Amino acid sequence: MIQPQTHLNVADNSGARQLMCIRIIGASNRRYAHIGDVIVAVIKEAIPNTPLEKSEVIRAVIVRTCKELKRDNGMILRYDDNAAVVIDQEGNPKGTRIFGAIARELRQLNFTKIVSLAPEVL
Amino acid sequence: MAVSTILSITGTGAGIPFTGEFRPLGLFESKFYERPRKPYGSSCMNGHHFAHHKCIWRIPSNRNLNSKSKDSSLVLAIGKENVSKDTDDMYDELFNKYGKVVFRRKDQKPQIAVELANVASQVKAADIKVLFVKPLVYWTRFFIITTAFSRPQIDAIGSKIRDLAEKKYGRVPSGDTKPNSWTLLDFGDVVVHIFLPQQRAFYNLEEFYANATPIELPFENQPPFRG
Repeated sequence: MIQPQTHLNVADNSGARQLMCIRIIGASNRRYAHIGDVIVAVIKEAIPNTPLEKSEVIRAVIVRTCKELKRDNGMILRYDDNAAVVIDQEGNPKGTRIFGAIARELRQLNFTKIVSLAPEVL
Repeated sequence: MAVSTILSITGTGAGIPFTGEFRPLGLFESKFYERPRKPYGSSCMNGHHFAHHKCIWRIPSNRNLNSKSKDSSLVLAIGKENVSKDTDDMYDELFNKYGKVVFRRKDQKPQIAVELANVASQVKAADIKVLFVKPLVYWTRFFIITTAFSRPQIDAIGSKIRDLAEKKYGRVPSGDTKPNSWTLLDFGDVVVHIFLPQQRAFYNLEEFYANATPIELPFENQPPFRG
């Protein structure tokens, strides 16, 4: 359940460290975002000497949420952090590697590029 | 960054949540181990012969032979030292006694992947690589990684591949519809990556999947040209 003002970790090596959600892309008045949703975020913390800087506005895909993700088969998936991957306007990830486990729902939502860079898919 | 994940299954009719193939041991490996260094079942994975039906059958015994050190990490993780020393033998016994292949794909050979790569080479795609990634990731079988030198060329390669897959195999890919600097076509068990040269060097997918088995292509003896 990501909403504007939520802080998220960054799960890639793009150079950003922490993001703050400022808008959820989709419907006009959407309240919450979940795994696989695209958000507009501002970089709150960045690693020095990287292309991304603090207070830059970027797009990101949510890859992990503390809120449980329920599957049709009864499986429930819950992470202990909120994390996102920075993408560009075309949908390509800005980093070259993804950290941590991600959910397979991302593939169905057409983020196969992120899935193919991830070390583990649950 | 330490990230822990909690998986839980509720309800009784949970079915088989992980995969459609009957590979119970290989499948639970991903939870306990890191990515396997060598593709298991290597004895039956020489070039094109990996798709032999005994691959599925041999997985437990190969794991037992090759990965003693990994087994020890499993022991530590579970914390039952006395019991799990013999666990693999026990699994092998059980598998020999009760195990059988209940589901096997009909198309075991990399025919589609090689044909798609062939089409890409006809449109002058460079540096084509077909990787058998099934031992590393569960969600697909083959990666085709190729380079194109312009967006129109990416478009041409993408549309040729789409046409062939639709006409011959009746498959429609998901993924990118417009030509992109990294265009991805997802056919389910075959995933095609078409890069511009810069992006290919940037993402360096071959390095990430360095442990995957490369598949020999019929047109490979031609020297690749780089712009």
